[in-house]
Amino acid sequence: MPATGPEARPASPGAGGLAAADSHLHLLLWVRGRRTVNRLREALREAPVRVLATAGLIALIWLGLWVLFELVFYQLRRTPLEATVAIPLVFNFFFVAMLVLLTFSNALISYSMLFGSPEAGYLLSLPVRARDVIGLKYLESLLMSSWSLFVLGLPLMLAIARQTDEPAFYPLFVAFFLAFIPIPGALGMLAAWAAARFFPRRVLRWVVGVAAVLLIAGTLTALRMLQPTDAAAETWLRTFFAKMSFVQTALLPNNWVALGIEHAQAGRLALSGCYLGVTVANALFASWVAVLVVSRGYAVAFDRAVSGGGRDYRRGRRALPSAATAASLTSPPARRVASGWSVVGRWLGLGGSSGGGWPVWFFPYLAPQPRLVAAKDLRTFVRDPLQWGQLLILFGLLVLYLTNVPHLRFRSASAGWALLVPFLNLSAISLILATFTCRFVFPLVSLEGQKLWLIGLLPIRRSRILLAKFAFAMTVTLLVALGAMLLSIVKLELAPLWAAIHLVVITVVCFGLCAFAVGLGARLPMFRETNVARIANGFGGTTNLLASVVLVTVVLTGVAVTTWRARYLDERTLPDLYILGPCVLAVLGAVAAGVAALAIGARHFNRVEV
Amino acid sequence: MEPSPKMPADHEEADPSMLKSQAAEPDAAEPAIVLSGVQKRYGHQVAVRELSLSIPRGELFAFVGPNGAGKTTTIKLIAGLLRPDAGTVHVCGHPVQGDGLAAKARLAYVPDQPFLYEKLTGREFLQFVAQMYGLSPAQRDAGLARLIPQLGLAEFVDRLTDGFSHGMKQRLVLAAALLHEPLVLVIDEPMVGLDPRTVRTVKDMFRAHVRAGGTIFMSTHTLEVAEAMADRIGIIHRGELLAVGTLEQLRAQSRRAGSALEDIFLSVTEAEHAGDGT
Repeated sequence: MPATGPEARPASPGAGGLAAADSHLHLLLWVRGRRTVNRLREALREAPVRVLATAGLIALIWLGLWVLFELVFYQLRRTPLEATVAIPLVFNFFFVAMLVLLTFSNALISYSMLFGSPEAGYLLSLPVRARDVIGLKYLESLLMSSWSLFVLGLPLMLAIARQTDEPAFYPLFVAFFLAFIPIPGALGMLAAWAAARFFPRRVLRWVVGVAAVLLIAGTLTALRMLQPTDAAAETWLRTFFAKMSFVQTALLPNNWVALGIEHAQAGRLALSGCYLGVTVANALFASWVAVLVVSRGYAVAFDRAVSGGGRDYRRGRRALPSAATAASLTSPPARRVASGWSVVGRWLGLGGSSGGGWPVWFFPYLAPQPRLVAAKDLRTFVRDPLQWGQLLILFGLLVLYLTNVPHLRFRSASAGWALLVPFLNLSAISLILATFTCRFVFPLVSLEGQKLWLIGLLPIRRSRILLAKFAFAMTVTLLVALGAMLLSIVKLELAPLWAAIHLVVITVVCFGLCAFAVGLGARLPMFRETNVARIANGFGGTTNLLASVVLVTVVLTGVAVTTWRARYLDERTLPDLYILGPCVLAVLGAVAAGVAALAIGARHFNRVEV
Repeated sequence: MEPSPKMPADHEEADPSMLKSQAAEPDAAEPAIVLSGVQKRYGHQVAVRELSLSIPRGELFAFVGPNGAGKTTTIKLIAGLLRPDAGTVHVCGHPVQGDGLAAKARLAYVPDQPFLYEKLTGREFLQFVAQMYGLSPAQRDAGLARLIPQLGLAEFVDRLTDGFSHGMKQRLVLAAALLHEPLVLVIDEPMVGLDPRTVRTVKDMFRAHVRAGGTIFMSTHTLEVAEAMADRIGIIHRGELLAVGTLEQLRAQSRRAGSALEDIFLSVTEAEHAGDGT
């Protein structure tokens, strides 16, 4: 590592009047700021073109999204019904969805930062008040969970603001967005703390599973409630609006924000300001409560999270990091007595036996060594409730929506819906896949960093390891995505040709996203980082996110053009090249881009030194 | 080679420039570390069992034991990272669980896997630690001026910590730990990854720290280091403190006059195995 030189010498942290040891929050924030500055300086010094290219790409995507949102809202404005009913309802639903998703996201990030990071242990050993540590982690989790949402939300808000004549609307809209974010952040942190405090790790996976099932059951109930009785679009929308009135309960923050935005849009600034005040006050109160509660119980929760014990699948007993490990390894009864759980665990391949168990069966197409690496990743995935919990919830909700699509009677509403709805389903599945690969597949290679010396010694080319990672990611995502897509096809009674097109497209999207995540993960790794969220939010993770968005946008644009050109085509008529061309081009482009990403990643991974 | 463990009399000849924090300590008569009936479980397994131990000030105490014996768990209990299921831990008279900030202000903890902030230079990290312990700029600069040459950090202290070797990290973390002149230094495997010259330097620093009235609680697998440096040695196995005392006392307890610590250690831990019938 080259010297940073005299120019990198820091200004004294005390220079800003931080000498008082009463509150360390400023000092902890100073460290974060200093690290960011050093990181940026290093990146600009070592790879200025890469930084500029990324910044340019972000600007380009930002601009593209803005144009897209402008067009969407322009179209919505053209229809009076949707303009008067749909947009306020869209805001309400959008912020309800944000409330749930950001709470979940913050809970995951907070748990990892408070109880899983080496920094947490380090800070606990210093004479720093828990309140300062929790305050820092709270701000960090807010930033990590919502920065991309905020950056991508800015063009959306600007596009909406352009449809109104009120100049104060845009700043108010942004202010509402910012004021809203701490509320799910506080809920998420409280949930993470409660999980660590009251549920040992071995129980946590079941808690996550039960929470996911409850969430899905709740959504199912809500969707059942929404089954329309009338096919007319206007009546359906009004019925839908009436049945969903519960999301407009005065006590829910999404309602304050939606109403505030609505008032701002209509130029009623005083009322809007009033709702903004309510939102800000509640956000501050929720933040205060979360930091207070979590900081008071942090030491106990940390102790429980660290010493609560994981499951030692090999022996059907809890894994111990210290004293008891030796005892359990030398205890003959433990060797002789195989509990029912351990038998099941062994069959499930959770025991780490050299045979590999069922994970190996998923990769029959791989050579023995890469197969073992892929099976290892699959085992890790199964053991981590944060990973499969997120996938389960996202796709569970999607499956529920798909199973209820016929009830929504889009087909009867308009002939255009027949192709539009499958396209929207394809978009939803693609975007969920992109979320998953960016969050969980991209960090896979970086997480091997600590063990790269071991991998380097194995009699296997590193590129084969990369291939194994790709195979693991592709297998998991493709199984889930194809399942969801097939469900959509069956429920919508899609014509065979269009069914085949959708299945091919989702396979290609899977391929491209996994190839991007693995390839860029190997090209832009963070080998010294062990925090998945930090890896996903780092420079490489951001690049991968942007690349994935571009890939999905390109493929979906191709499919959209083909769908548009085929709107008057009879289901039984074979489309010609003019119709299919854009889709075929997009698919070929995505495959080529995926292969290129994998090749670039493999080339770098073969040469990388750690 | 016959070890010459330092006797309590050495403390009376300690460096007159006592630790600053020691001089300001109102409860100077309190032992540095007191563990009373401490028990810690991981799930159903007992990691530390009924551990009672008192470490007076100005003592270098070495904690030895096989892998997974409970050394690191004990150290984490003293550092306040873990909470005992039963019993209490006091540092300089302050309960770690009840008055954690006061206890931690008198203590420095160096784990076996040192933590450093990436993308900070070594100097920035040291400045950060100095601020965390509330050192004034003058105290901080004096500490840096003392420790940087002493631990041979000058070559790399202004580089980002990302590329540091384990030894460089260990030296930097050690400097950070000693910066605020702690009364109690709790250190897990201090010599791992250090080159011979730095090992010598660290040994000298530890001796100076103890001479100045500081206390060191050190866990190690390197029995020669424990034998050569420690005033007292504790042998822990399966969470139980099997023997504690000076080297001579341990020899007497194990009825192995003139034996090296390695022989005593093996005889004590093997006797425990035999006692279990394993």
